[in-house]
Parts: sequence; structure tokens; C-alpha cells
Amino acid sequence: MNSFWRIFSLELTAAVRSKSLLLLLIASVAWMVAAPFLFVGDGTVEGSRALAVHYSLGGVAALLAVSLLASATGSIAGERSAKRLQLTLVRPVHYIVVALAKMAALVSLGALVLAAATAVEACRSDLSRPCRHVLSPILPTPREEAVMAYEAFMSNPDTPAAAKRAKKQVVLRLLAQRALDRYETIGTNSVAKWNFKVEEASAQADGLAVRLRFTNAYDIRQDVRGELLLRIGGSLWSGSVSNITQAVVEVPLVRIREGTVCCGTAELTFRNIGGSAVMLRPRRDVNLLSPADGFGWNLIRAYVELVAMLSILVAFGVFLGAGLGRPVALFTAIVALIVSEMSPSVIEQYPDELETDRLDAIGLYITRAAAEATHPISSLVPLEKLSEDACIERREVLRTATANMVFAPLILALLAALAMPRKVEV
Amino acid sequence: MNEEIVISLKGVRKTFRDFWLRPTVNAVDGLDLSVRRGEVFGLLGPNGSGKSTTIKMILGLLDPTAGEVLMFGRSPRSLSARARLGYLPELSYMHPFLTARETLMYYAGLCGLSRNEGAKRTAELLAMVKLEDVANRAVGGFSKGMARRVALASALVGRPELLVLDEPTSGLDPVSTKEVKMLVKALAANGMTILMTSHLLADAEDVCDRVMILNHGKAVAEGRVAELGGSLEDFFLAKVGSADEFVLADFLS
Repeated sequence: MNSFWRIFSLELTAAVRSKSLLLLLIASVAWMVAAPFLFVGDGTVEGSRALAVHYSLGGVAALLAVSLLASATGSIAGERSAKRLQLTLVRPVHYIVVALAKMAALVSLGALVLAAATAVEACRSDLSRPCRHVLSPILPTPREEAVMAYEAFMSNPDTPAAAKRAKKQVVLRLLAQRALDRYETIGTNSVAKWNFKVEEASAQADGLAVRLRFTNAYDIRQDVRGELLLRIGGSLWSGSVSNITQAVVEVPLVRIREGTVCCGTAELTFRNIGGSAVMLRPRRDVNLLSPADGFGWNLIRAYVELVAMLSILVAFGVFLGAGLGRPVALFTAIVALIVSEMSPSVIEQYPDELETDRLDAIGLYITRAAAEATHPISSLVPLEKLSEDACIERREVLRTATANMVFAPLILALLAALAMPRKVEV
Repeated sequence: MNEEIVISLKGVRKTFRDFWLRPTVNAVDGLDLSVRRGEVFGLLGPNGSGKSTTIKMILGLLDPTAGEVLMFGRSPRSLSARARLGYLPELSYMHPFLTARETLMYYAGLCGLSRNEGAKRTAELLAMVKLEDVANRAVGGFSKGMARRVALASALVGRPELLVLDEPTSGLDPVSTKEVKMLVKALAANGMTILMTSHLLADAEDVCDRVMILNHGKAVAEGRVAELGGSLEDFFLAKVGSADEFVLADFLS
């Protein structure tokens, strides 16, 4: 541990004495203060708040992502090219300790700067502003639904033989993608039912609501009318929907019967009493909203998630720097960062490789692999939830922190330790 | 000096390869070498003779393509072997923003010394290399000679049993050179094993018990300095070849 702390404090000392920490702090705090004045919202309080969070905290996160990635790639590769690394490697220190200490130091620097930016956000926000748990219906995973659909498809004698010869993995992926967007049609006087898993405390509090977005077969606006009924144990809540399709509708629920709230499962029914059928995607368009703690706690959880994102970037940068020269490592890291941000939208726009030519299929295959590999980075940014006052769930934060601040850095540090002594300049 | 072998190289070969894994340079070719405890061993040779590559393999910084390298009977990468090693590179690669004291404390920590032990050892070494007055100045502002002395002190901070010195007098003025040579002799007198490379044959003649002359990655001569006959310089030129192959002025400077 002595070696770990020595390397850790050396990195911190370098950042302090080279004034890079000070510069990052000044740039981050200045951006946090200036950003709300630079971007004009849509006139609503929510719009202004969303812009402020996205551009100010998001801007600092982006600045830190790029600067820490650059520092991380240089922390070993730069030491190597300055020929100082060999002086560390000939000491009785485990190579993994060298990598972990450098990662920890850089993450600590990032966490410190981010804490300053978060403090600015906290100072100008109402920390007691309530947030809500946003619950989705309990459904089979898109993959499970895809497997069921695939089996039905294969056992159907009417399925053309040529279609049955398509690659299973590709078909399953397409079906899983479609399961996400699968529509459920609710005819006039019909009832749709969804189950949710709720915590008992949330269910007993006042302020339950349902968020819905309806559409119809022609994607045009029409009236929607319906009745909502929520049952948790022996308690009942109701609400009525009177709005139009294509709009996001939030319906407050009123308790109409007191009873026990024991089982933790909520059953929501919607009866369509309008003049025509309506459609919605259960995985995207129905949410049960239940009261959660305040914005202050949500901000802290968002902070932890952002630090987790920086952790995995730093670990990746240190790993690249251990095996590659600094310019190559930096280039690779920046490309990976761009790919991680862009590949999901490429896949969303071109989801169906069966419909493209061979070259496109190869490109999509590579893009998909890159998206899978960089998913931990691209899926982490919690700012959308923060700006919508949607609760960033504790278990989600815990899972993210464990995976991205413990397991991934450990694995990458181990790989860096293997690569480190094999790349010595003579 | 006793017969315990501290460094042992058997049939060591190192071939560097390009991106396509095609061999480009045979830096070391079938080298056998052994250094005994308490010995001052000199590795001599012109530029490109394979001295640095050999040193890096001994330090565990490079893997040999073939053959076996052992330090204290173990792999040079083992922690127990590295715990007994001190290394002075050819140039003093320092962290420029650290002071001389912080530099020594840092390496003391890496050698497993506690903060108190490290502070005590640092004070001893600063006195030994006569840098007490500038101990709290950043080494980035040091002259080449002062930086060299800090590097030498940091090589000694873990009380090593084996000291590997790569061109220890490189860049030093005559007075400092003499001091370093006296220090090497004193360390050897205390039983420390020393492996050093040098361009300056006079240095090797003054401090080494045994030398090996490398040329094109191969050992062309090995023996006790006293037994090589005549001056080391004449012997060297005879073994390495004509002055065309070796820039005479460089090593006589």
C-alpha cells in the first residue's frame, strides 16, 4: 500500500504543481456559472432547468472526459517516453499497483473538479424539489420476447424456407429491437393491463401519477379518453385521461380506497372510453411515477454516476497508454470516445443489416461491436434523468459504481500490468 | 568477494522485430555472463554493441528472445530480486516538479521503506551526495551534475545489494567524475555488487574488477582488468576493430 500511496500522491502533486488542476477547476466553475446565461431555454422553468443541467454539468463532464482521457493515456505512455517509467518498474512494486495508483489519482482529480461543478449546481438549485421514481411495466426482456417470437416464426409452416435460413442471431437482434417498439392496440371499451414493481413506502405516499403517450395507426392527432385504475394490495387509485394522441400525458392518481399495501406489485389498468382505438408501446410509453427524495440526493447520485463514467474512461486510457505509445493511445482513446457516442445513433438509424448490402452489413457489424464494447461509457450519462427530476435509482448507481469503479478498472489495470513491461524503449 | 553468482546470463539473444514481426536487429547474440557477489563488473563496447539491451534484460525491462537471465537466482521481474536492486540510468530521468528530498522519499516509498525510515535514509543520502543545501529545490532546475547525484542517491535509497550503473559518469565534470568513482569503490569495498557500463575506459580501468567487451551483440573479450595486458584502451581497439567502427574521439573524450 505504501507504493500505491506514493504513486498516487506523485500524480496529484504533478497535477497541482503543473497547475493543470487549478486550470481545470477554474474552467469548470466558470463554465458552470456562465452556461445558463449563454443558452436560452424555451421559456418554461423546466426547459431552462433542463438546458442548465445539460449544458453546464454536461459541459464540465465532457471537458473532464477529454482532459482525463488525455492525461490517462499519458500517465504511463508519457512516463515511458520520458524514460521515468523504467525507474519505477525496477523497484519492488507490483505492476498492477502502478496502474491502479495512476487510475485512482486521475479519478480523484476528476472527482474533485466535478464536485466543485456539482456544488455550483447545488447552490443555484432548490435541493428540496421532489423527484419521482419512473417505473416501467414488468415485461419479458426484449431478448426473451424475441426468442418467443423466433420460435413461433420457425415452427410456423407458412414461414418461407428462405426466411428460415436467415442467421438466428441477426433475426433475434432484429426481433429484440422490434420488441422495444412493439405497439399494443387498445380498442374502444377495451382494457389494457400492466404490472409494476413498487416499493411499499412509495406506494403509501401521496402523489402517484401515470405518464402515457398514445398514438394511432395513422400517426395523427385524435382525442383520447380513458379511465385509469391502479391497485396495490387492497388500495385503489383512479384517474381519468382526456387528451390527444402524440402528446405526453401525465395523469395524477387519486386514492379512492384505503387498504393494505403489502405485496409491492401494482396493477394498472386503462379502459379506453374514446370513440376509436389507440395504441402505445408498453416499454416506452407507460410509466408509473411515484414520489422519491429531493433533487439534492438525485444530484449526488448523478455525481457518483458521472465519476463512474470518468473512472472507466481513465482506466481505459491508462490501459491504452500501457500498451501503446502516447500519440497512438490518445488517438485510439479519442476515436473510441467518439464511437461510443455515435454508434448507438448509427445503429438506431440503420438497425436492419438484412436489408443492406454486404459492405453496409460489415460496417454495421463493426459499429454494433463497438457500441457493445463502449456501452458502459455511452449509457452512463445521468443528466437526462437529473433534468427531468426522474430519480436516479440507488441500486442503479450501486451497480454502475461497482462495475465501472471497481471491476472494470481492476481488469484494465491487470491488462495494463501485463502490457507495461513489454513496451520499454531501449 | 565470494563465488555466489548475482547475475547470470546463459545463451541470451535479443532480436528486435518490426511491426510485421520481421527481425530487424540482433542486438544481443548468444551472450553468457556471470557477475559474482562483491564484484565490480564493467560492460564495455561501442554504441550499438548491445550494452543497454543487456542491461534492460538484466533489469527485467526486456524479455530475451532466447536464453536465460537470472538475478539472485530468480527472474529479474520477481519482487524479491527487484527489492535487492538499485539502478542508475544513462541520463537522470527525474520528475522535474519534485524536490531532491521528495524524489528520494518517493523512491524510498517504492522500495517499501516507511515514512520515518525513508526520511532518515533520504537525509543520509543527501549528505552523501552533498545536496543537503538544495534538498528542497525542484530537481527540474538542477544542473546535469546535481541531477546525476540525485539519481545516484535514488539508486541507493533501498540499500541495494546489486547496483546497476549505466554510464555513471556521463555528463559529469572531472571533479564529480572522481567523486563518483570513489563512491563506487567505497560501495564495492562494503560488499555491494556493481555492474556498470561505460564509454570511458579510464573509468573502467580505475574501478572494475572484471570487464566484458561487447561488439555487435557478442562478447569479444572478458577477463580481469589486470590480466588483459597493456592498457585497456589498446586492448579494446584490438578487440573491437578499427577506429572506423568506433568513434575514438567519443570514448577518449
